[in-house]
Amino acid sequence: MATQMRLGFAQLRRLPLVLFVVLYSVVSGGPFLWVATMSLRTTAEIFKNPYGVPSPVHWEKFADAWTKSNYSTYFWNSATVVVVAVALVTVIGSMAAHCLARYRFRGNRFVRFLILSGLVLPPQLLILALFQILLDLDLYNTLTGLVIVYVATHIAMTVYILEGFFAQIPQDLFDAARMDGYSDFEIFWRVTMPIGAPAIFTTVTLNFIILWNEFLFAVVLLTDDAKRTLPLGIMHFTGSHQLDVGMVATGLMIAILPIILIYAFFSEAMIKGMTAGAVR
Amino acid sequence: MSISGRLSRFARRNSARPEIDARRAGIGILVVFLAPALLIYAGFTIYPVLRTFYNAFHAIKPHGVVEFVGLGNFTALLLADSIFWKAVSNTAIFTIVATIVDVFGGLLLALCLFARAPLAPLLRVVWFTPVLMSYVVVGIVWVWIYDYDWGLANAVLHWLGLGAYEQSWLGHPSTALSSVLVAHVWKWLGFNMIVFLAALHALPAEVLGAAELDNCGWLAKLVYIIIPMLRATIVNLLVLSFIGKMMVFDLIWIMTGGGPLWSTETVSTYVYKRAFEWNTFDLGYPSAIAVLWFIIILAFIAIMTRLLRQRDRLEF
Repeated sequence: MATQMRLGFAQLRRLPLVLFVVLYSVVSGGPFLWVATMSLRTTAEIFKNPYGVPSPVHWEKFADAWTKSNYSTYFWNSATVVVVAVALVTVIGSMAAHCLARYRFRGNRFVRFLILSGLVLPPQLLILALFQILLDLDLYNTLTGLVIVYVATHIAMTVYILEGFFAQIPQDLFDAARMDGYSDFEIFWRVTMPIGAPAIFTTVTLNFIILWNEFLFAVVLLTDDAKRTLPLGIMHFTGSHQLDVGMVATGLMIAILPIILIYAFFSEAMIKGMTAGAVR
Repeated sequence: MSISGRLSRFARRNSARPEIDARRAGIGILVVFLAPALLIYAGFTIYPVLRTFYNAFHAIKPHGVVEFVGLGNFTALLLADSIFWKAVSNTAIFTIVATIVDVFGGLLLALCLFARAPLAPLLRVVWFTPVLMSYVVVGIVWVWIYDYDWGLANAVLHWLGLGAYEQSWLGHPSTALSSVLVAHVWKWLGFNMIVFLAALHALPAEVLGAAELDNCGWLAKLVYIIIPMLRATIVNLLVLSFIGKMMVFDLIWIMTGGGPLWSTETVSTYVYKRAFEWNTFDLGYPSAIAVLWFIIILAFIAIMTRLLRQRDRLEF
């Protein structure tokens, strides 16, 4: 009897907690649900009642958004730029991180300092000069130029995370590999890379999300509609369909869905990736 | 870097095995491993920074016209540019409020989940979702939420019977900055929550258990035990959040473009405007703003870490 009463009291004390948790869940998830319902309704229906349930469900709006605007172009531009940039920054970054973590040489600390100082550089400090430099090199308004800028600006974070992890791999493994006659490149490829795979996976996730969402460099360095990446494309689409709220909502869902889908399967990896620089 | 990393490095230093030293490499090997990263980093990060510093002391006009102006950009900026000062005060307000709300709001959310709220593992994943969304998506959704005619904000107020407070949130200079701030905090709270949650789960269970045995209330436990033990994480997140907010650009550019009447103009949006929107055609002046702001950010990081670390030293 007494335990039952105490249990009831404890549960009552937890009521504010539960209420707060429910409230915040509505605040953080509600906007997405709202956009999801609007993406399946026509603008006329939305203006009649902005918060209704989609009925009938207009699935065809997704096909319309994809085919009747440049959405597919934006999507493939983003995919190309991000995949190439992430691949490059991963290979280049892990080579540099391996070298800094593994070899003792003069200037090691200086090189490390030079690369890691990139962690505190604000993009605004680079963007004006990058604009000039890409103009000089005829790389302005090209996807190649954007890839180069993405790689250069994300090396610091990649090396920072990978070097920290690589440095913890026991030296005995490398001594043994050296005794077995592995070359320096084989040691990198067959010891560091397989053992460092979890950290490499983390940087791939982190860079992928950041670059998929990147806006500032893209808006300054690209001008052609045919070269726009997805974030710029959505902005442009919104600007030209300002009053067609239903269509813009469909466009937003096309941008959100891939991330939500990947997140549903790899939520732990994505959470770990995004917070890799802050958790230690 | 973790302690185990440092320890193993220390151990390695003390076990010299000169016959097979896997830690030595020829200069050729070093070049092959480091050159790609160093070249692209030097060309597209270090060089642009140096060039921005150079630009800051020049007037950079179209068609390669470059004119040395000395400190002219800086004096014009500091003495005669009222929009710059407006941008500075907006950025300062935004940074202070958003940093504090972000970090301590994130701590509150983490404590909710740590206190075994129902469905905590699921909520942890759901609450993190906004962090993954691009500013463009977040910005457009929040512009709709703030819409005067059919937005969610006014609808909720109406439903609560607070219809008198309905307004055009982004259209009025007195509410625009706080409205953008709410959207920004909404996006980043989940990030701070996850970092705090990881730190909370890493706390020694014996200490928390001992506090419970001593009949320590939850508030006392929070103030005297949990927060002091989380100090390193709190300092880390404050600095990280501070850097992000001082450079805030994307969300403001998408939601208000700095308006109305410069009420949401930040230093970063002003740099962008002066470089690419105004017909002044001078990259030198905005470069001077960027350089000045970078130095101020560095100074504040140095002050913040020193202040917060010194208190550490006094306590222990």
